[in-house]
Amino acid sequence: MKKDQIAALLNKYWRCETTVAEEQELRRFFAEEELPEELQQYAPLFSYIAEEHAPRLSRGFDRRLEESLRHAGATPLRQQRIPRRAMLMRVAASFLLIVGLGVSLFFITRQQNNPHFTERGDEDTQVLEQATEALEKLADALLMSEEASRETLRQINELEIDWELIDSLSSDTTPEEADPVTEIDDAEEPHPAVDSWQENEKAIYNEMSKREEKI
Amino acid sequence: MHQAVTFPPLTRHKVMKVDSFHTLILPLREKLFRHAYGIVRDRAEAEDILQDLLLKLWSRPEEWKEIDNPEAYCYRAIRNMSLDRLAAASNRKSVLPRPDEEERSFIDSESPHSRLVRKEQQELIVQCLSQLPERQQVVFRLREIEEMSYRQIADTLVISENLVKVSLFRARKKMQELLSGQELPGGREMQASPVKHREI
Repeated sequence: MKKDQIAALLNKYWRCETTVAEEQELRRFFAEEELPEELQQYAPLFSYIAEEHAPRLSRGFDRRLEESLRHAGATPLRQQRIPRRAMLMRVAASFLLIVGLGVSLFFITRQQNNPHFTERGDEDTQVLEQATEALEKLADALLMSEEASRETLRQINELEIDWELIDSLSSDTTPEEADPVTEIDDAEEPHPAVDSWQENEKAIYNEMSKREEKI
Repeated sequence: MHQAVTFPPLTRHKVMKVDSFHTLILPLREKLFRHAYGIVRDRAEAEDILQDLLLKLWSRPEEWKEIDNPEAYCYRAIRNMSLDRLAAASNRKSVLPRPDEEERSFIDSESPHSRLVRKEQQELIVQCLSQLPERQQVVFRLREIEEMSYRQIADTLVISENLVKVSLFRARKKMQELLSGQELPGGREMQASPVKHREI
């Protein structure tokens, strides 16, 4: 290749417009040919590049690599890793559990050991207690009154009260409405039902009073 | 030159991408080796680094899954590992020509003086290259040493072809300036007598 051509090629090279083949040619030229003076300064670059082409893996490399890969493949690295991670999780979970328990216990015992921990706390507790008491009483009362009502009703039922008769006694309804014969007879002598009714009413009243006292 | 070796099949990997270890990465090992060598300047070390990298990738398929561009990743990884080794071995590094470099010298008619000059000049080139930004370095190597096309380099590094050309342009320009004496670390002329290489 002539001097001019090489110079032109070199300029092309600096502009990055050369092909791989042209670059190979440049390297060859700089290595083998006699160089014009102004181009000599660039020789080290191309000799460096040429030398860098040379390194090859040593002959035993592939074999050694294969061995180490096989060895790595044989060791169940994956299996080892998973138990380790799971183990870490378990340890962490246990630790958290213990810490949580400890904290809870701490707070509980603190409360028990220190009933007077604040003035405000005392009041609150008192009010709370009173409210609770009241509520309990009310509940009891309701319960009892419910029971009482039931009991009352039961007793009333047992009495077999003739409600019609009661109604007739207390109301303003004229005798004509009722059976005249029955009613006159009833009015003169105490009807056994009436008597018992009065007694029963008293009994009921007493009973209810008693229950009210209880409450 | 290399004996035929079959690498163990990937039996435990079910993800398709992991197969790229065999199809993409293993074939790259020569190139990756030269890449490592370009930095550490020692054949045995470069092989060591390469083996480390391949072994690591092989052993961690789950990490492998997450790599989008295996080739680009490998070039970067081998570079980083090489730089680490270089930093660790910096005490032992010497400027004297190493035995394997001696073997490859092809200019037989050289006088010892000019040989030494050339060696030193090459050392300067190595130094200058190592100071280039990473992208320029890797593009320079992939083009000059591995003789890849701009398209191939772009695909490998996942950058545009234009960026490849720009990077190469800048790297070569730097080399031109270095060799023509226009720019030299420390302001020294390249053509001067071979002294004080450590000043740089």
